[in-house]
Amino acid sequence: MIGNYPSVVVRVISTLLGPFIIMFGLYIVAHGHYGPGGGFAGGVFIAVGAILPRLTLPEDIAYHLFPRSLGPLAAGLGMLVFLLIGLAPLLVGAAFLDYAALDIPGMEAARMRYLGILLAEIAIGAAVFGSMLTIFDVLTDEVRR
Amino acid sequence: MIIPLDLLIFLVLIITAVLALSTKDLLAAVALLATYSLFTAILFAGMAAVDVAIVEAALGAGLTGILFIAAIMTTTRRSNPRLEVRRRYVVTPLIVVVIGLLLYASSGLPDRGDPDAPAQQGISVEYLTRSKDDTNTPNVVTALLADYRSMDTLGETLVILTAAMSSVLVLLRRRREDEEPGGPPTASPSAEAVGPDPDPEVGP
Repeated sequence: MIGNYPSVVVRVISTLLGPFIIMFGLYIVAHGHYGPGGGFAGGVFIAVGAILPRLTLPEDIAYHLFPRSLGPLAAGLGMLVFLLIGLAPLLVGAAFLDYAALDIPGMEAARMRYLGILLAEIAIGAAVFGSMLTIFDVLTDEVRR
Repeated sequence: MIIPLDLLIFLVLIITAVLALSTKDLLAAVALLATYSLFTAILFAGMAAVDVAIVEAALGAGLTGILFIAAIMTTTRRSNPRLEVRRRYVVTPLIVVVIGLLLYASSGLPDRGDPDAPAQQGISVEYLTRSKDDTNTPNVVTALLADYRSMDTLGETLVILTAAMSSVLVLLRRRREDEEPGGPPTASPSAEAVGPDPDPEVGP
């Protein structure tokens, strides 16, 4: 089932839908402050958008769009950024993950926490996306070869 | 929450769960499980828990199904024969007892949206009243997950990353073990042993 799906309808529809699924995922990640969602759900949506071409399109195109190395890379980077966000307040003597303690001129504490949440959500989104893509790639590794 | 609609959704949930368990075709079971998750998401949305609903819809109805399909692709599409009859006599009463206990326990839970419920007291009042001013974030759930309880979220993210890493380690090691015995020294005898077999099958 990996690779070029025999039906033209499936291939065309998934090509059309894929970018919109990924865009919806990015929206969910970025819009967590005001609506439902956040890093977890958004990351899963982006992962689904990246896996869809692997199930339907020819292998060389699918793995060119989202290379196999993208999964581990995004997962590791996301986790690293989240940890760094957590560690940054320690430099000014505050508690772990206490974004408000960072004293950037012209920014009130609430704004700092707002931005901290946004950065954390993006990091979570990348980590979840990468992890899910990695799990799928490892599971289907045997089928491809 | 509309009671008749909820009852209908619960009915659909029970039907899809029973069908998913009884079907022999695992691909159909996966589709039924995704349907089950989708209806659970509708149920959550009806209870105004939209954050839970969207995660259930994305994970349960979307990604879990894809991962199951990936697993089916590498293994087999048919499920093994059912549980042997003798064991079913033990398992069925056990399930009935557990369901009865859970129903009995649920009768002691506070009503949904009860302001005097323990979950509505204490620290959650603080979060609900202060999060907008503290973090500029209208969605309390996001403020809770990524700010007040960000340590928990860090742990959750770590759990997902660990799942990905361990699946890589387990599956890649298994593959390497499969390949190495069939390496250059033993490859030629096994290839000879397999070699003659296909011919009689292809012939007729």
